[in-house]
Amino acid sequence: MRSSRLSRTVKGTYLALVLAFLYVPIVIMIALSFNSSVSRAEWTGFTLSWYEKLVHSDAIIAALEVTLEVAVVATVISTVIGTLGAIGIHAMRKGWATVLINVSYLPMTTPDIVTGVSLMLMFIFMKVPLGKGTMLMAHIAFDTPYVLFSVMPRLQQMNPNLYEAALDLGCHPVKALWKVILPEVMPGVVTGGLLAFTMSLDDFVISYFTSSTDQNLSMIVYSAARRGVEPTMYALSTLMFLAILALLLLINRRSGLESVM
Amino acid sequence: MVQDTRLIEIKGISKSFGETKVLHEIDLYIRKCEFVTLLGPSGCGKTTLLRILGGFETPDSGTLLFEGTDLLGVPPYRRRINTVFQKYALFSHLNVFDNIAFGLNLKDPEALGAKTRKEKKQEIARRVDRMLKLVKMEGYEKRSIDQLSGGQQQRIAIARALVNEPEVLLLDEPLGALDLKLRKEMQLELKTMQQQLGITFIYVTHDQEEALTMSDTVVVMNGGRIQQIGEPKRIYDEPKNAFVADFIGESNLLDGVMRADFLVEMLGEEFECVDEGFAKDEPVDVVVRPEDVMIVGEDVGMLTGVVESVIFKGVHYEMMVDTGSMRWKVHSTTMQPVGSRVGMSIVPFNIHIMHKGDRP
Amino acid sequence: MKRSWYATPYALWMLMFTVVPLLFVVYYAFTTKTGDFTTANMTKIFAYTPVLMDSLRLALYCTALCLLIGYPAAWFMASEFSTKKALTVLILLPMWMNFLLRTYAMMTLFENNGVLNSIFQALGLPKQTMIGTEGAVLVGMVYNFLPFMVLPIYTVLNKIDPRVIEAAQDLGANPMRVITRVVVPLSVPGVVSGITMVFMPAVTTFAISRLMSSGTIYLMGDMIEEYFISMNNRNVGSAMSLVMMILILISIGLLRKADPEGQGGGLW
Repeated sequence: MRSSRLSRTVKGTYLALVLAFLYVPIVIMIALSFNSSVSRAEWTGFTLSWYEKLVHSDAIIAALEVTLEVAVVATVISTVIGTLGAIGIHAMRKGWATVLINVSYLPMTTPDIVTGVSLMLMFIFMKVPLGKGTMLMAHIAFDTPYVLFSVMPRLQQMNPNLYEAALDLGCHPVKALWKVILPEVMPGVVTGGLLAFTMSLDDFVISYFTSSTDQNLSMIVYSAARRGVEPTMYALSTLMFLAILALLLLINRRSGLESVM
Repeated sequence: MVQDTRLIEIKGISKSFGETKVLHEIDLYIRKCEFVTLLGPSGCGKTTLLRILGGFETPDSGTLLFEGTDLLGVPPYRRRINTVFQKYALFSHLNVFDNIAFGLNLKDPEALGAKTRKEKKQEIARRVDRMLKLVKMEGYEKRSIDQLSGGQQQRIAIARALVNEPEVLLLDEPLGALDLKLRKEMQLELKTMQQQLGITFIYVTHDQEEALTMSDTVVVMNGGRIQQIGEPKRIYDEPKNAFVADFIGESNLLDGVMRADFLVEMLGEEFECVDEGFAKDEPVDVVVRPEDVMIVGEDVGMLTGVVESVIFKGVHYEMMVDTGSMRWKVHSTTMQPVGSRVGMSIVPFNIHIMHKGDRP
Repeated sequence: MKRSWYATPYALWMLMFTVVPLLFVVYYAFTTKTGDFTTANMTKIFAYTPVLMDSLRLALYCTALCLLIGYPAAWFMASEFSTKKALTVLILLPMWMNFLLRTYAMMTLFENNGVLNSIFQALGLPKQTMIGTEGAVLVGMVYNFLPFMVLPIYTVLNKIDPRVIEAAQDLGANPMRVITRVVVPLSVPGVVSGITMVFMPAVTTFAISRLMSSGTIYLMGDMIEEYFISMNNRNVGSAMSLVMMILILISIGLLRKADPEGQGGGLW
């Protein structure tokens, strides 16, 4: 699709406008997090005091701890389960593999709110108190398919004889998994883990319905936002944006964001 | 040199994948130091048979003996058999040295004649070094696999298998991905290597020329059955049935009837031949190799026909000659112009008669 | 141990935490608080028909706007810009970023004392009440879901072999014809998957409408949230979730018909 200079200008302008629509609100919010006035209407000078407030808020520090703890543990567990799952499904007969892969799409095709309330119902029915633990279980459930789908393509690209070659050279089956298959799919495992971590940090809806005693950062932002706008939340949002942005750029460098979806 | 002891015995092995039966009651023995080639078109079961030997497939029935003891219960990692896989299956996360050392690293130090870990390391380095020399890849230890050409990867795959000093080396179409010139070179090298090391090679290919060049014994397979077992020359000269004749080399295949011992009728005429012991008037398959059809004067030929086409093939011309009842493929070093009438003659020795029943 | 057994923990976890919970939604939807069978929850939903219609209407508007804005964007991205890769990343990044934070950012702009109004004032225009209007909710939704429309269309367009377009030109198609006869038909799978990816979260959203209308516009998602969190009546909430889910399954099924091979890239 070669294009003339004029059409390139038109296309470029259009894309620039779309990008502006997507990014200007975020940029403004980041700017306002450094505004010394509580008002959004005027700029009264640069300050870091909102960030300071953030650090001194017990609720926010507690939420940060919950967020990180859940994200780290969920990432570790879902990476292990998801990688093993991918290896298992890859070795499976086609019929069963298709069933499992379709089940893996389920959390992605179900609306978040339904996933959230369905888990909430189950936990309540089983009399499990809604807190950090239930949030963690829910996070593992939606994280694991991301790991699975990052590792699967690696396995499919792999020479099917590699595992057999390891056995042929004297490797026990479990050791062959460790010494040959795992190194071969490692890039997919790492990408999957990073994705899982990002999804976990990022989640609001499912956490909101599966935990009531413990709040993560997104839940804090939601409850604050319902009360109205507050500059401390700008500071918190800015930090979360930057963290997630860094993670996403890292993932993108590894495998291209459009291909991981 | 090939020894008389039977190293591997395959008895009545059958295997199905779902509905399709890929191996029918295979019987075969392989001797020590023999270079055996399993030859056949794709889907003939040759790779499945090789994978059964390697331990990657389990047959549905039959027995497999290695030096007289059962091999089927032995997992691949305990068999003294190593494999060179199709497309090599090298470990891309390891460099050349570590690929070759992979099997040795898994062994106990004692198995390598070493007492300490350090001695084991030294011994491994020594053996890897020796292998790199054997496959002419000295100095490539630290290279990563992606930096190697197809031919070099091939050599590393062979070294990785041979360094474990297997009794048997299985090779699954190892030269398939290489270009013609490299393939010819590697054929010779593999044969030399096999003779130097004095171990058994079982080689799978669909390339009949490769099979005839390298093997002590060729096993021709089709449709999950063994069609013929024999030395390359015997298989070429005396194909046991129409399939083998057609698959090995080029051939003219005709229907005939044995009128008596040493006399076969085909295309309505009687020809002398060297075969006997057929029933009177038994319908048979007749094979004549294109290079065995001699172009002679129109008046002295047993058959006459019109040259339909001529293709120059490098060493010889390939001509299609139409005799009215049949189109003959003829190889000759002299060219006859298209449209000319020629005579053809075949000496009795070159007329190969086969039972119809042998047709697969 | 056979390798396929490695998938056991995964299979169990997915069964336990995605399949079973969905069955609980069905169970709660058809029982009373004491656990007896009832259809009352279902009939109670009819009272909320206007809310449902509002949700559907806004989700449809949102999907249409996303398609209108997103299709050209995807098409331009797929053309030969030297900065194509960077552009793609920039447009796709927001879809992974916390939607709540982005909605919060949007809210800042639209508030009565917000950035937009101070710009209006500086230009001598009257102050506008934007938060609380349907327009604001719609902007918030489009803002959040636009990348989900762009990605699948871009993926499909990007895969079109340039030679196909050259072939069409070679066969005498003018640029307009190339677009209508070749590019658009080839991009149908991407459009289908884009529509699903936007419509589904749009029709179930709760936080966006809550924040952008400061609670004055109620959509299905808000109702479900109300029933589960504030009103503590999970049975009616479950019935609503069930209806939502069935609605979505039907629309996915209908859309699948337009793209039977499911080659729209992305998730579906």
